[in-house]
Amino acid sequence: MLSIKNLHASVEGKEILKGINLEIKAGEVHAIMGPNGSGKSTLSQVLAGNEAFEITGGEVTLNGDNLLDLPTEERAREGIFLAFQYPVEIPGVSNLQFLRTAVNAMRKHRGEEEMNAAEFMKLAKEVSKQVDLDPAFLKRGVNEGFSGGEKKRNEIMQALLLQPKLAILDETDSGLDIDALQVVSNGVNALRAEDRAILMVTHYQRLLNHIVPDYVHVLAGGKIVKSGGRELALELEERGYGWLGIKDEDTSN
Amino acid sequence: MKPAPTLSSAFLHPAGQTLPEPLLALRKQRASALVDMPLPTRKTENWKYSSKYLKLSDDMAISLPAEGKAGASLAIPGYKVVFTNGVMIPEASEYPDLDGISIQSFSDLSADEAQSLSLQLGSTLNHEQAQFARVNGARFEDGLLIRLKPGAVLDQPLFIIHNTEADASGSAYPRIYVEAGANSQMTLVEEYTSNGGAAVLVNTVTEFNLADGANITSIRLNMEGEQVQHIGATGVLQAQSSRFESHCVGFGGQLRRHDLQVRLEGEGAETKLNGVVVTQGKQHYDNHTSIDHVAAHCTSEETYRNIAADQSHAIFNGRIHIHQDAQKSSADMNNKNLLLNNGAEIDTKPELEIYADDVKCAHGATIGQLDETSLFYLVSRGIGRREANVLLTMAFINELVNQIPVQAVRETAQLRLNDFFEQTFQEI
Repeated sequence: MLSIKNLHASVEGKEILKGINLEIKAGEVHAIMGPNGSGKSTLSQVLAGNEAFEITGGEVTLNGDNLLDLPTEERAREGIFLAFQYPVEIPGVSNLQFLRTAVNAMRKHRGEEEMNAAEFMKLAKEVSKQVDLDPAFLKRGVNEGFSGGEKKRNEIMQALLLQPKLAILDETDSGLDIDALQVVSNGVNALRAEDRAILMVTHYQRLLNHIVPDYVHVLAGGKIVKSGGRELALELEERGYGWLGIKDEDTSN
Repeated sequence: MKPAPTLSSAFLHPAGQTLPEPLLALRKQRASALVDMPLPTRKTENWKYSSKYLKLSDDMAISLPAEGKAGASLAIPGYKVVFTNGVMIPEASEYPDLDGISIQSFSDLSADEAQSLSLQLGSTLNHEQAQFARVNGARFEDGLLIRLKPGAVLDQPLFIIHNTEADASGSAYPRIYVEAGANSQMTLVEEYTSNGGAAVLVNTVTEFNLADGANITSIRLNMEGEQVQHIGATGVLQAQSSRFESHCVGFGGQLRRHDLQVRLEGEGAETKLNGVVVTQGKQHYDNHTSIDHVAAHCTSEETYRNIAADQSHAIFNGRIHIHQDAQKSSADMNNKNLLLNNGAEIDTKPELEIYADDVKCAHGATIGQLDETSLFYLVSRGIGRREANVLLTMAFINELVNQIPVQAVRETAQLRLNDFFEQTFQEI
């Protein structure tokens, strides 16, 4: 489904990604782990199409089509979804209006009829229950005044509504207490499907206790330095990144 | 050196003579005081950014004929009074005869009523700061006098539609005077519209005189055509414990100027002024507001937002004057601005003069652009760039639009704003 070949990217002239290679097939769940500053978030942002990052080499294809040529909104319509590490607050745009506009943009792209306000409200209420968000949140500004956990649940709610082909979760576990982590994980597990892939980016392995990955990759210095199965994450938890010869400036958890 | 420009004498001759004698006399007296009135230049402080948009020609001095067209009958959820070119059109107006509330055109006033009105007209305004209100005083052909007796409550909003109909150059001088008795209440909507592409001047004055405890909501929608040069002034006098709330929504044009002056003269008076302005193309809009805290324990709260696209120009000048005896005043002024293109210009200037020592006074002004992070977030959900721009721009003013208390007006404003944004972002 997703194929990344020798991807290089920089921000403000500084090279962050230094040749990433990764293949993800439909139905798989991959986890990318690595210390702070290794390029994990950059990879997520680059895949979603953030223009603040400059692609300096390599290629990325989604189901055979060149992804890097597409603007952000078209990538989203082709099925790329990024759950943000820091979801943006947009006062003045209601969550409901935002979600309906997004869902209808996708439906239009697929040649389906747009949903009217009443139909969408019904759907949104159902999905908000799935991530344990009070439907009252729908009326508020996008992420406005939401707690960290509420913001993350709102991200997962968006993924459930938009039904992407590839969901990229950037540090979705950060800032969550154990109950919120459980809710978010249930949401992500509900996303798991044969025709969908999930890419989780995380510093810590605790999320992987709840969402069990098929493959684990270690990113360091802008490259994938080791790949393995589920057991690689456990080993990292036990031994830290130092075991791989990687310096991790943040080892608190 | 070139002599300073003055108002052409052509502007000193009103057309109609249908007003009652005391108002004709007042008009004449005001006209004679206007001989050689200096026109604002860029050296005139309160017209610094706007004088270049003012283009008066002698043929614009002609009063636009008032006869004929009443305009399409608008579906309005309330009472309505329709004016064409500053003159009331009774057959297009619909309002009931209510206890304690009188709504009359100036032309219909008795000599005694006209006499007492002539003593009040202009009393709410500082003409030094609103020079063109004087021109209106010399030129008005008609007007609307609304008097609320103590305790009277108008049960529905009153819409005053001021339409300018012009096939050729000319001018119109709409005038409204509201006398709100103690504890009376009403919501008044002024809507300014125009038909025809001729270069015209619309020079308006609206006055509100609030007695103790009166509660007035004023909504002003400026939706005139591109060619109209609109210079309007609103004066508000507030007695003890009265409350005034204003919502101005304005679309730019060749020249748009609104002066809003509020004097808090009785203790415990409250005023709230909201304003939204959008400009595009080469349009202009200039809001000058002035709040005088004369008495103690008064509150003012002011929020204005400007959005300027293309090569347009928006101006906000907010003055707050806290007089020496106005202890325990609370004044809050906030102006935020959004520049959508590099060629657009926004000028904002707070002016605070504080002569009392025990006051709470806050002000803030910002000028910014659409937030790239928010834009990325929206498009990353498949929302198109144009739609994302519209959403974010609307978000910038939604807070104010949502506060407009009359649903029909709020919806009209929203529709027009949506059209504006669709147009503004059509090339994205």
